[in-house]
Amino acid sequence: MEVKNVAPPRLHVVFACLGVAFLLIFSWVLLHEGTTEWRSTQARFGRLQASVKNPHQLAQAASVGGLRQIWLPDLGRIDRCGTCHLGIDDPAFAAVPAPFATHPGTWLSTHPADRFGCTPCHDGQGGATDYTNAAHQPQPFVSRPMRPLETIEANCGACHRALDPPDAPRLAQGRRLIVEFGCFSCHEIPGFEGLTFRGPSLASIGYKVRSGWLAVWLHDPKAYLPQSKMGNFRLSTQEITSLQAFLLSQRAQPPLDSTGIDWKRADAANGRALFGELRCVSCHAVNGRGGTMGPELTKIGDKVQRDWLFSYLKDPHRVQPDTPMLQYRLTDEQLRDLTSFLFDEYGSAAAATEPPPVTYQDARLVAEGRAVFERRGCTSCHRLPGFKDTGRIGPSLAGIADRDPDELPYGSNIVRHTTDNYIFLKVLLPDTLGQPSSMPTFGFSPADAAQIALALASIRKADLPASYVVRRPAPAPYRPGGAFGELVDRYRCLSCHSVNGYGGDLSTVPFDRIGSQLRRDYVAKYLLNPGAVRVSVEARMPVFHMVPDEAKTIAEYFADVFVDDSLERYDARFTAVEVRRGQELYRRLGCQACHQLGTKGGYVGPELSTTGARLKPGWIAAWLSKPQTYRPDTLQPDYGLSPADARALTAYLSGSGADRTRGGNTP
Amino acid sequence: MTPRTLHTLAVAVLALAASAACRTGPASQPGDPMLDAIRAKERGGDLTYRESQGQHLFLRYCATCHGDEGRGDGQNASNLEPPPPDLTGPKSPQDVTYLTSVITQGSAAVGRSPLSPPWGRSLTHQQIEYLVVYCQSLGRKKPA
Ligand code: HEC
Repeated sequence: MEVKNVAPPRLHVVFACLGVAFLLIFSWVLLHEGTTEWRSTQARFGRLQASVKNPHQLAQAASVGGLRQIWLPDLGRIDRCGTCHLGIDDPAFAAVPAPFATHPGTWLSTHPADRFGCTPCHDGQGGATDYTNAAHQPQPFVSRPMRPLETIEANCGACHRALDPPDAPRLAQGRRLIVEFGCFSCHEIPGFEGLTFRGPSLASIGYKVRSGWLAVWLHDPKAYLPQSKMGNFRLSTQEITSLQAFLLSQRAQPPLDSTGIDWKRADAANGRALFGELRCVSCHAVNGRGGTMGPELTKIGDKVQRDWLFSYLKDPHRVQPDTPMLQYRLTDEQLRDLTSFLFDEYGSAAAATEPPPVTYQDARLVAEGRAVFERRGCTSCHRLPGFKDTGRIGPSLAGIADRDPDELPYGSNIVRHTTDNYIFLKVLLPDTLGQPSSMPTFGFSPADAAQIALALASIRKADLPASYVVRRPAPAPYRPGGAFGELVDRYRCLSCHSVNGYGGDLSTVPFDRIGSQLRRDYVAKYLLNPGAVRVSVEARMPVFHMVPDEAKTIAEYFADVFVDDSLERYDARFTAVEVRRGQELYRRLGCQACHQLGTKGGYVGPELSTTGARLKPGWIAAWLSKPQTYRPDTLQPDYGLSPADARALTAYLSGSGADRTRGGNTP
Repeated sequence: MTPRTLHTLAVAVLALAASAACRTGPASQPGDPMLDAIRAKERGGDLTYRESQGQHLFLRYCATCHGDEGRGDGQNASNLEPPPPDLTGPKSPQDVTYLTSVITQGSAAVGRSPLSPPWGRSLTHQQIEYLVVYCQSLGRKKPA
């Protein structure tokens, strides 16, 4: 058989063309690669570097060229930002312009780049190697462009789960507002597990409030109380009338009997004195001043009924077992004077003469109100017997920060479509997003709404690896038993003081080591008549009207249980030389700038002239040496005292105002 | 606040956002009301991010003596001799090294009285840096 050459001559031409095309493409790629933005940036850096004094080794090595990337497999990220930000970890570049400038602050030492990369904090497209594609500015189709610094704390929140993370004041404020307004009562919010929010119990509200007030409140809580935590549910008149009837019909438990009280003999002046002495303003504001733990009292006389108030002040725990309000030990006369004072001072005459239009007998209306109550989710915050727990009425906010911004509603608001803007608008004006919404309007200021939105914007869909997460401390509940436990319950010590992080933070003195801080006989005396240790602080210990036995029980329990042995073992036999040196140090360090001693000094910190009678020497020395270990956010600066200096100051302060400190720690 | 005032407020914010957007881009560009709300609050005094971080710390640690605006009129100021100086105005200290030493080691370290306390062991380097830039920014304000 004859073998023919099968390859047609044309094929050579095809091969030649292909070859040329290949060569062209190849050289184009080479050319393109050689002129990319990052190469010219690196070349600029090379020139700049020559003019910078003492550049860091690392930057020099990097300027040799090439892509620089950080691979974080745990976070699923590759960040090539270092390709252009070449001076980022080199202090020598602090004064040069972007993109070569050093990273400001100490962030890279607390968050090393090889562990945290860039985009976990800043967002943007870490894989890109030119300015535009890295999404330094918002880009179409990029859902997470770089965050402006104003909202960057949202990304701090992804790892830092404490309610009060360090150096992130906007995030902390947002989280504080979420806790204060109890958003998690209606929404599941990851990060806020285990926290509860309760509005007042409504079981006996029919005896508590005036019906006129109830209508005003339901129409718009802020009309009565601008600081109200309850939102405006935008109820119709019919809904308000029926809810009013339903609520007034709630009469589970009549108030304590006050029929024997002769209101005409009430002494409002004595009531006013009591109001001051009981330190009501530590928790309740009047006319814009005072604490926020309890409700505002400025218009309390327009809200509640007199018999109810009398009964409530007599035993608040009967009405609401979990209230932070303590039970004072007052006589009926004192209660009468106090109630009367509150009505005279904080009620308008119009409310006092209001006729009682009682509609709650109308069964149909009551049933209708009950339906509204259930439908609008009132039970999420208010307990009422006969309603079973139906769970949260609002949608879960898990992963809200990763919702697709293009699928979210914005109503007629002209805003850029970002998840942040959606959350912000929803928090600020829930009814303007073009969809029916049963979320109440809380009346936040735009700044507060923005901070809440910022806190929510840290809630991502995929949880981070545990090694990155700094958890929120979840203190174990502390419920002491016995006589001490009963007193802690009656006087609600834990509304303000804490044990192992559990309890309130209104007081700067947790119980943990209080027995080694305070002298036993001082505690017993102080509880009977607490004065102000710190004159500049508004919130003070109330005068409980405790009986001496109660004070003694508490003082003894403190001395037996809440002790710290390391503080107790302090040798308190001071020499006269130490006392003199302490006095000299006190002056030289400028302690008088914040503390009063004798008649001179500032009033930022506590008055010190009775220190020796109040505090144990071991505690004084420990506190002065390392205040932040005991209270991280205290205003007392750490002076880096040597043990001898701390001892000298302790000697000086222990001597002041006390003639009986020689005996040391044994009270 | 009634819902009406709220609405007005919110509309004002949105209008602000829109007008801000107009200045930087084409007229139709929609705004970022959330950012604007934070800026309006914190940059009312025209502060950068780091300065506003410093402001938060200043209010907590320094304002009792130096006053909320650094004018030397805090509630504790009348107890101090010498009194805290007005930190606003062009004559206030601007030098980073000087400010850092006063804040870290106290005013005694720069040859003054010991009344401004040393914060170097109580606050982090980062926090001190924020305070320094905030003190510098106070110099942009007119003195009282
Ligand atoms: C206990 C009151 C007090 C506190 C708290 C305090 N200072 Fe001072 N500060 C003073 C006094 C008083 C002076 C003036 C000292 C002098 O002139 O001898 C001063 C001076 C200064 C100066 C020097 C001003 C100048 O003109 O040279 C600076 C800066 C300063 N303080 C910053 C701060 C910062 C920042 C904080 C908070 C971290 C702070 N201070 C906290 C009282 C205080």
